[in-house]
Amino acid sequence: MPKGVGKIRIRLPKHIAKGEVIPVKALITHPMETGLRKNKKTGKIIPAFYINDVRVYYGGELVTHADWSIAVSANPFMTCYVKADKAAPLKVVWKDIKGSVYEKTVQIQPE
Amino acid sequence: MKEMQTQPNAVSRREFLKKAGFASVAVMAVSTVSSMFSTGGRSPLSWPGAQEAAAAGRDVREVLRANFGDRTIQPSHVMLKTPIIAENGAVVPVAIDSDLPMEAGNYVKKIYIFVDQNADPFIASTDLTPASGRAAYALRIKMRKTSLVRAIVETNKGVLYGDTKTVKVTIGGCGG
Repeated sequence: MPKGVGKIRIRLPKHIAKGEVIPVKALITHPMETGLRKNKKTGKIIPAFYINDVRVYYGGELVTHADWSIAVSANPFMTCYVKADKAAPLKVVWKDIKGSVYEKTVQIQPE
Repeated sequence: MKEMQTQPNAVSRREFLKKAGFASVAVMAVSTVSSMFSTGGRSPLSWPGAQEAAAAGRDVREVLRANFGDRTIQPSHVMLKTPIIAENGAVVPVAIDSDLPMEAGNYVKKIYIFVDQNADPFIASTDLTPASGRAAYALRIKMRKTSLVRAIVETNKGVLYGDTKTVKVTIGGCGG
């Protein structure tokens, strides 16, 4: 894994009531190279390198699946929503076009 | 005699200005009304800025047709939140929210984001399930230049809803 790629932060609300719809904020460090940019010194095109598939699992069940193109910003930050009706792990999985898989699991613990 | 001539002239000038004022207002009203209704395409979201879009790489109308065919997109139930001015086109936060229900059998299946002026107008799509609880998604996107951003929401019954916002991209960060 290249340096500085694949660092993940997932943020959930501090207090979660059972059955509440909560925002899941997920950030991953990734250059998201479009394949359209040129290296200014050498004039060579920087090859495309971006995340194109994101999946959010809650208790093993796929809740949200996103297809991304090159037009998602570097170090992508997304917010999606999950209905917290059970105490279960929440797993977010990112895949990039080079086949690397980045994932992180956090526990949702409704009070 | 002289007075007789200037008097009607003055009146006609006043009359003229009055009429001209009304006329210009009327012209403005007509032009706004016609621009509101001359949609051209079938989808109400396909017309604004379409000509500029055609000049840029992949035409957004083709992309929309490829995704949605000739189905109409209703401009309701979807709220697209964007900055009015983005000082950095590489990081533009967009948030899509909707008040559509998320129940089993009646939920939002997919959220699409398009930017007309990007080389590829397709930015991202998100598949949702009733377990999502809320038809909303937020992402930071790249924008090549000032453009219309479209958010389109598809329900599991195939009904389309959408919202659009224009985001002004200023390169150089002068804010102008």
